[in-house]
Amino acid sequence: MAAAVAMETDDAGNRLRFQLELEFVQCLANPNYLNFLAQRGYFKDKAFVNYLKYLLYWKDPEYAKYLKYPQCLHMLELLQYEHFRKELVNAQCAKFIDEQQILHWQHYSRKRMRLQQALAEQPQQNNTSGK
Amino acid sequence: MTLPPSEPASSPRPCVSALSACAGGRAVRKMAASSSGEKEKERLGGGLGVASGNSTRERLLSALEDLEVLSRELIEMLAISRNQKLLQAGEENQVLELLIHRDGEFQELMKLALNQGKIHHEMQVLEKEVEKRDSDIQQLQKQLKEAEQILATAVYQAKEKLKSIEKARKGAISSEEIIKYAHRISASNAVCAPLTWVPGDPRRPYPTDLEMRSGLLGQMNNPSTNGVNGHLPGDALAAGRLPDVLAPQYPWQSNDMSMNMLPPNHSSDFLLEPPGHNKENEDDVEIMSTDSSSSSTLTTNSAAIPGKTSSHWRV
Repeated sequence: MAAAVAMETDDAGNRLRFQLELEFVQCLANPNYLNFLAQRGYFKDKAFVNYLKYLLYWKDPEYAKYLKYPQCLHMLELLQYEHFRKELVNAQCAKFIDEQQILHWQHYSRKRMRLQQALAEQPQQNNTSGK
Repeated sequence: MTLPPSEPASSPRPCVSALSACAGGRAVRKMAASSSGEKEKERLGGGLGVASGNSTRERLLSALEDLEVLSRELIEMLAISRNQKLLQAGEENQVLELLIHRDGEFQELMKLALNQGKIHHEMQVLEKEVEKRDSDIQQLQKQLKEAEQILATAVYQAKEKLKSIEKARKGAISSEEIIKYAHRISASNAVCAPLTWVPGDPRRPYPTDLEMRSGLLGQMNNPSTNGVNGHLPGDALAAGRLPDVLAPQYPWQSNDMSMNMLPPNHSSDFLLEPPGHNKENEDDVEIMSTDSSSSSTLTTNSAAIPGKTSSHWRV
């Protein structure tokens, strides 16, 4: 009975831990947050670095399907490198990453707009060529 | 096989008597060794092997020389005997006999030479045959080598293919799940910007400050401040647009979906170095970041933000 209770609390604890780690790993997609962490010296902590390595389990498809912001995985991979961690102390670095992320984010909508423009131009061309 | 011509007469000859003495000496020696004449005959008429180093050619030549000398001597003796009386009756006969003997040897040597020639010819034919077979074998060897190479390549490629099949099978995910996931991340504008997005829109491809604070993680640290977000940090400030749902539970926290999901077990002490390689190698960093920007080079997308095409934060 005690064991079952213990297991339940364990389970609940694990579930909570799952949620927390899910949130945390997705927070890593935010370059400003990364800058924040870097400036506070978290990346210098060995335990933190090991934690980041442990978080790589989110790359498995059975865990990855819970991620809403999959860009965090790429950030996580980059964070495994000390060079990257060191660079993140600079605010300019974080700003650059932010800009690039947003640009990439807009990639598909831009592509779609271009396609629409191309489609809009086509009937016009057909009309002119017909005449 | 043509025999070499006999010694031409142009070579200077010593005086005949000395020659005759020499020839006579040789003849005497030969006569003295007549007991070993048979051995000599064997030696001369023997097989192809040159036991004492005298080749057939040399022997033939020497025989020819001897014949020549002896015949000269005989002729001179006859010439002399015409002028003088026969003083050396027996010598004529001796020389004659020697001559005949030598001639016989010569004939034998000729036969021997003929045989040797035939055998030599056969040898040449056989050698040609051997060469031909040799070249055949070499060609076969080349072909085998080529075949082996081709087979090895084929086997290697097949193995690679099998490996990739295995890999694909390992990572197999049902298409339905993938589509479901694609819907999830697209519907919430997490990977694709909303079509009405303008600079100033607080929405981002990552959880914003506000969302982070409102989440479970944020709530854990600030249990007292419940839903009160004082000052909004920079990225959510502009345009005054707040997220639609200011609820503590955001979709990206997936509370309902992940009820049965557990993180992998770990020791709570992260100070212990986990086994595995350290990615401290700076070279890897350069290789890793090919599509994303590396820290020292700039790669912008097609539409760059104006005025910031070359930001380089190593000031």
